[in-house]
Order: sequence, then C-alpha cells, then structure tokens
Amino acid sequence: MSQEIAHWLDNLLEEIEGIEIRRKSSRRVRVDVPADALPALLELLQGRAGYIHLSAISCVDWIDDEEFELVYHVWSYENHSLVSAHISIAREPGVYLSVYDLYQPAAFFERDIHEMYGIHFEGSPNMDKFILTEWDGPLPMRKEFDSEAYINEHLSWQEYNPPWLQALIAEGGGVVIPPEEQRFSRKKN
Amino acid sequence: MSSINQIPVINAKRGNPLSKVFDELVRFCRSRSLFILHYCTGCGAIELPPAMTSRFDMERLGIQPMVSPRQADILLITGYVSIKTLKRVILTYEQMGSPKYVIGICSCTVNGGMYWQSYATAKKLDEYMPVDLYIAGCMPRPEAVIAGLQQLMDRIHSGEANSWEDYFRNYDYYLGNQQKLFGDHWQTPTDIITEAKHYNLMGEGTLGEHTRLLEQHQKPLEALDMRLGHNLKEPTK
Repeated sequence: MSQEIAHWLDNLLEEIEGIEIRRKSSRRVRVDVPADALPALLELLQGRAGYIHLSAISCVDWIDDEEFELVYHVWSYENHSLVSAHISIAREPGVYLSVYDLYQPAAFFERDIHEMYGIHFEGSPNMDKFILTEWDGPLPMRKEFDSEAYINEHLSWQEYNPPWLQALIAEGGGVVIPPEEQRFSRKKN
Repeated sequence: MSSINQIPVINAKRGNPLSKVFDELVRFCRSRSLFILHYCTGCGAIELPPAMTSRFDMERLGIQPMVSPRQADILLITGYVSIKTLKRVILTYEQMGSPKYVIGICSCTVNGGMYWQSYATAKKLDEYMPVDLYIAGCMPRPEAVIAGLQQLMDRIHSGEANSWEDYFRNYDYYLGNQQKLFGDHWQTPTDIITEAKHYNLMGEGTLGEHTRLLEQHQKPLEALDMRLGHNLKEPTK
C-alpha cells in the first residue's frame, strides 16, 4: 500500500519542472525546489494529494553561502507521509512570499522566523514580535549573532572553584571547555 | 524639672530578658510555618510535586504551597530564569510580605547551567534579588529540596536568614543590575525606597546613582480601570 502511494506521489511531483526529489523512506520525501516554484508545489500537494497539514517551517542560516534555507514540512493524514520542501533564498534582503493563503498556521511560523532571522514574508498577516516581545537586541538566530560575546557583555558569572574541583582538574578531569576554534562565534575572527 | 522636655531619657536598650525569649518563640514558629509560592520557572519544578505530596511529604515540616505572593514566605526559583521571566519574578518578589526567603534551585540559578550560552536567560540570580540558599543540581531530587528547606528552617530559627533586609539596605545594587538588563526605564509597581523608610531599613546602599536614575523616570502609578469591556480596545488615557 505505502509503496503504491510512494509511486503515485513521485508521479505527481514529476509534474513540476526543475525539482529534485529524494525519497528518504516510504513515508518521507525531500524535495528541493526553486524558490518561485514552491507556492505551486504546495498548492498541488494540498489540493491534489491531501497534504493539508503544514507541520512546521524551519529555517537554516547558511552564512557562508549567503542564503537562508526554508523547509516546509507538509503532512498528509491520508497517506501518512511527510514531504519536506526545501528552498533557498538570498540572505540579503531576505524576502519571501507568505504561504498564509494556502496554510493558515504558516502565520505563526513566519512570524517566528521573522523575529529570529529577520526574513520578511510578503503577505503574512502579522509580522510583529511574537516571543521576543521585550528584546531589542540583534536577530538572535542569525549565525553572525555572537551569543557568547553578548552574554559576556551583558551578564556576569560567579566564580566556583572549590578544592575538590581543583583536585579533579589536576588529575585531568573536571569541566571540559571546548577549544576556541570549535566555537562558531570564534571561527570568524 | 518644670517641663516634660527636661526629664532625662535613657536611650540604652532595656534589658528585658523576656524579649529574647519572645524572639526565639517567634523565630521558632516562623520556621515551622512556611508557605512556598506556587511560581515555577524552568524545569526544576517537576521535582516539587513529589516533594509536596505523600511520597516525600513536605507538609510534615510545615511547608505548604501557597497561591498568592502576598501570603507566601518562600519564593522558589526552580530553574532557568529567562529575562522576560525575571521581570515577573522581581515584581512577585517585591510584592511578598517580609520576612521573605528566596531559594534558587538547579544549576541554572547559580550560573546559567546548561543555558550558560543563551542570550535569553539571566545567569546569576543573586544579582537581582538576595538569595538565601542555593540547591544545586540538574535537577536536585526531592530529598535535596527537602534537605535545603530544612537548612533554611534552621537558618530562620537561628536568625541568620535575613537576606530580605539586604534588598532594602542594598537596593541600589540590585536596581543597578536590573537596569543594566532591562534598560534605564525599568520601574516596578512597588516603591522599595518608601518601604525601606517606613520599616526603618534604610542602609548605606539603599540610595545611589541607580535610584536617582529611577526617580528621574519614575511615573506615578495609576489604579487599574476595572470596568468591563469598555476600554479593552482603546488604550487608556
């Protein structure tokens, strides 16, 4: 049964040009689409294949490639399968279309991504602050935001170095602090 | 001695031996009737239901949960405090009646814990309010919570647990840290300086540069308009 659905879904997806389909399992498909084809794909999935549930929109910041990757996860209750549609958009100016007219829950996801990454979704009903209502710092989920430098500037620590911990460190144990070059925030400098 | 003003007044403290007995009694009773405010931040709160209920039974020590801050004695901070939550915690703490005690549970209240790198959580709780006791662990088991509460009871009984006075005596320090995090316009509905004057708890650190900054921005508080439905949409003028 699930094989049949998979085959049928692959046939459906082939109707759109320029997309790359990678089947992860019988219930999971990864689709890479050009950014301008995504609304058409979602409309097709929703209207003809029963993918009526938008589970999430995730965002990945690929700072070295100068782009954001947006992943739209849509789920079908009939097929019990998930399609993840990946698009990438330019990091600057970071504008994309809202899919609110197709999936209403997208409003929340888009609002969240807007406050965390600064991506503006055209047509989204509300782009106000969502969780970070009392935050006026930089966009926190962008890779260029150095969280460690920020907290070192704004917050302080208390010292805790009791004798038993010193003895542990002398034996080679204790708290392991990763080398500086492993930390993303230190990589650039 | 024609006038009442000429009667010499001896200012030395009266050595009433019963007063100490009375203080002792008050502290004894206080340490055996503690109400924990039902306010939980972070994940450590999950250890409180077993500590409260029949398995570990906090109530045999006279410790009970309480729903409102004005009737509670202990403010338990059970885990990480995000900066948005910290504002609410401070408002809650200031509304609690003295004597009040703060216990920081979990590593997060000590130094940020596993959220040490997060931009959104406060790291040292005792920068923002005086903490009587820390119960470290991620998260501490109910036994540890109860052992900590017993230690607090002993400290109340012996009269050492008076860090709440420190909030009045060093208000400038605490307010300075709060302003650093929340911005210069930070103001709480409770007027700590007036309270400190009223209860005769003014210390050297009560007033300072940060309280001067507060007085510059301070807006007088207005009573809430309690009408139903009329002003929900328009902002009050």
